[in-house]
Amino acid sequence: MSTVIQPGRTPGTTTPAKSAAASGTRLAVRRFLRHRLAVVGLGVVVFFVLFCFAGPLVYSTDQTHTLLHQVNLAPSGTHWLGTDAVGHDELGRLMYGGKVSLIVGLAAGVLATVIGTLWGAAAGYAGGWIDAVMMRVVDAGIAIPALFILLVVSAITTPDLGGLVLILGFVSWLVPSRLVRAETLTLKNRDYILTLRAIGGTHARAITRHILPNSVSTIAVAATFQIADAILLVAYVSYLGLGVQPPATDWGGMLSVGLTAAYSGYWWLILPPGLAIILVVWAFNAIGDGLRDAFDVRGRG
Amino acid sequence: MSLVHTAAARRWALVAGAAVTTGALLAGCSGGASSSASGASDTINYALPANFTPNWILPIGTAAHLNTNNSSISQSLWEPLIAYDGSAGKVGWNKDNSLATAAHFADDSKSVTITLGDRHWSDGKPITSRDVEFWFNLVKANKSDWASYSPGKAPDNWASFKAVDDTHFTITFDRAYNQQWMLANELSMIRPMPQHAWDKTSDSGSVSGLDRTPAGAKKVWKYLNGAAKKISRYATDPLWKTVSGPYTLKSFSTAGKVQLTANAKYDGGGKAHIKNVNLLPFTTADAEKNALRAGTVDYGYINATDLSQKASFEAKGYEVQPWQGWAITYLPYNFNNPKMGPVFKQLYARQAIQMSVDQKTLSKVVFNGTAVPTYGPIPQGQKSSFVSRKQQDNPYPFSTAKARKLLTDHGWTEKGGTMVCTKPGSGEGHCGKGVDKGTKFSMRVLSQSGSTVTDNMMSALQSSFAKTGIDFHIKTAPVNSVLSQSGQCKPSEPSCKWQLSFFGTAGSWYFPAYPSGDSLFATGGGSNFGSYSDPAVDKLIAQTTTSSSDEAMRKYSAALAEKLPVVWLPEPDYQVSVVKKGLGGFAQDSLANFHPAMWKWTK
Repeated sequence: MSTVIQPGRTPGTTTPAKSAAASGTRLAVRRFLRHRLAVVGLGVVVFFVLFCFAGPLVYSTDQTHTLLHQVNLAPSGTHWLGTDAVGHDELGRLMYGGKVSLIVGLAAGVLATVIGTLWGAAAGYAGGWIDAVMMRVVDAGIAIPALFILLVVSAITTPDLGGLVLILGFVSWLVPSRLVRAETLTLKNRDYILTLRAIGGTHARAITRHILPNSVSTIAVAATFQIADAILLVAYVSYLGLGVQPPATDWGGMLSVGLTAAYSGYWWLILPPGLAIILVVWAFNAIGDGLRDAFDVRGRG
Repeated sequence: MSLVHTAAARRWALVAGAAVTTGALLAGCSGGASSSASGASDTINYALPANFTPNWILPIGTAAHLNTNNSSISQSLWEPLIAYDGSAGKVGWNKDNSLATAAHFADDSKSVTITLGDRHWSDGKPITSRDVEFWFNLVKANKSDWASYSPGKAPDNWASFKAVDDTHFTITFDRAYNQQWMLANELSMIRPMPQHAWDKTSDSGSVSGLDRTPAGAKKVWKYLNGAAKKISRYATDPLWKTVSGPYTLKSFSTAGKVQLTANAKYDGGGKAHIKNVNLLPFTTADAEKNALRAGTVDYGYINATDLSQKASFEAKGYEVQPWQGWAITYLPYNFNNPKMGPVFKQLYARQAIQMSVDQKTLSKVVFNGTAVPTYGPIPQGQKSSFVSRKQQDNPYPFSTAKARKLLTDHGWTEKGGTMVCTKPGSGEGHCGKGVDKGTKFSMRVLSQSGSTVTDNMMSALQSSFAKTGIDFHIKTAPVNSVLSQSGQCKPSEPSCKWQLSFFGTAGSWYFPAYPSGDSLFATGGGSNFGSYSDPAVDKLIAQTTTSSSDEAMRKYSAALAEKLPVVWLPEPDYQVSVVKKGLGGFAQDSLANFHPAMWKWTK
């Protein structure tokens, strides 16, 4: 295969290829920017990143000590979003918890999607017994409840933030891998792939230049859901001792604590983290939509 | 140990997702399907603790089925010989619900002669000494299967049983015992069983005196134990029709719903007032709360965090009544932990830790007033003659400043917010034996997850420890996982990694009527998780079971309030009950049992 001259490497075609790539990127950016919701989504994510990381510099609160003389206070001039059950300022807590949710959500979601995409594309493209073995691994993984694996891990170790990202990434890549495999199966028999193979294109090229770009919409949507799931999963695993431990917190944890006070009328413990999660999850979904349009090769002349 | 009740597992509910949602719906259905709340009728609906389904009625409990709710149901069917409980408002012998009418201890306190009342089984046969002997023989021969057995205690210390006549019998002990302890903690476990119906080895087998030989008693036990495992046959098996208590079984579903109906042949003093009792299971506390709101439960419960909704329940015709348990709550230290064990062994270090615990504020704010500060080994929720002055007055009042000083006076210096041992050695002003130079005062707690109140308490503790200069790391895990990871261990074992452990969301330890601490704080005690050992304390504990006065208990109470074998914490109420107005005639038993026969509609 390597002896065959590939179209992109033919002498004299370098410059047009580069400019084609550049114009491709410009086209993608233009398409993304044309997608109003995606731009708003991006704005929301940027806002929350600033809110969580730069916010504490402006609005500084004590999130490590409990202040039992000021618990469950309603929003007021001193505490814009009130206080929680142990006296933490809720607005400050939202910034404090958001850091964890954003970092872990993004990192774990992306990690899960990357693993799932590579695995699914490889399995679907290879076909035959390799596909069978790889997908049985996925089936087996789905058959074992994630809870079970998490329980075992929690008995062995207490991970730090990086460890948490790895663990969440490794338990949630299964579903994206199935999605991408299905997409690959339909794509690999398309004429342009067969043509590429006939003129000597490598498998790697077929996967990276044709199959993955064509399944980008599936991947982008899967990724945004993975990010959303990871934000919620951080809250769940706290129960097993895997999540963040006090005094640290995360939005999911704040929400589940707030829900216990639902009937007591402490809305300020529920609405802010709930809205933050909904907004961020929606924003990532909108960005995913925009990315799909931006990278969609199918619409290109 | 009796861990009777775990609180709402909020996060668990999230984790279990669909499964729990479905379960909650089912539970909601089971609550809703039953007749609506009764008020002044012949029916009452009682909510069992969330996540518990009754699964045992045989009067001899086995470890796998040990639960106070199981024994409450069982005691409604087969009355105890001596009902020593808090059903009358104060812990004591409730003779109305007992088969025995009197117990006379010999002058040397080495034996007791018990008199049975003139009582009959539901099939008309009289209840005699032979029925007590039947229970005695079965338990003697199969003691290792009996959940209430601990070596050296009953039935090991009951040397012999001798029937004097049909209504009198004598039990001889291996030595002299404190009479109250013997009555409250040991004799109260005896549950006469219908020998004339149960002393056989198969459903169709004939009844004989098989139990009188150990081999025969083993066979009978095997048969009864096997029959008791068939939950679906509880309501139909003729075996369970011969009862002595105020109720009989009407139905018993494997899903957990139990229906009791009054025993028409009952001839004791604790007759049922309400004919039909429905005991309803719930998968989550939230499902139960919804049933309360819907009015399908007459006697239920809410979480301490829901107390702010008291008015809304009162408007629906309920009364909110905290149910205090005869229990204590604490954080055991692992004295054998290779890293922190040597620090925990220093009394001044334990004092500094205890001084950093603000029990009063925790009880008031975090527990919403549903917990009682407890400064020693005797429950302080109820008045009792066992609590010492010292324990009541709290020898170590909250003061992080004093706690800091205590540490700095003993060779610790604060570095970066955490105390570090800078003067090792065992002399005055030094850190103490075994504590190395550079040791950080940093400890880790393995805490029960699923309860917001517990999480909040841990956060508050972390905060006040930080003020003293003590690092406090919190790791949470489900309660069973916490218990399995905090067992007794040797320093060299990998299982000795735990430093502090908390499993007391609903109280760490529920005592029998006489709150002696033999298994908790005596050297080698079965539930002495942290391997606490002090010969002087061992001596005091031994005296509590053998001496004849309460003074021994008070000395023990004072000693442990001072020596701090564990971190004493506020004792939460067993349950915040929500009871339909008009339901009365009973006191909530601090031993965590319920007594349906005492319930009555007063209007």
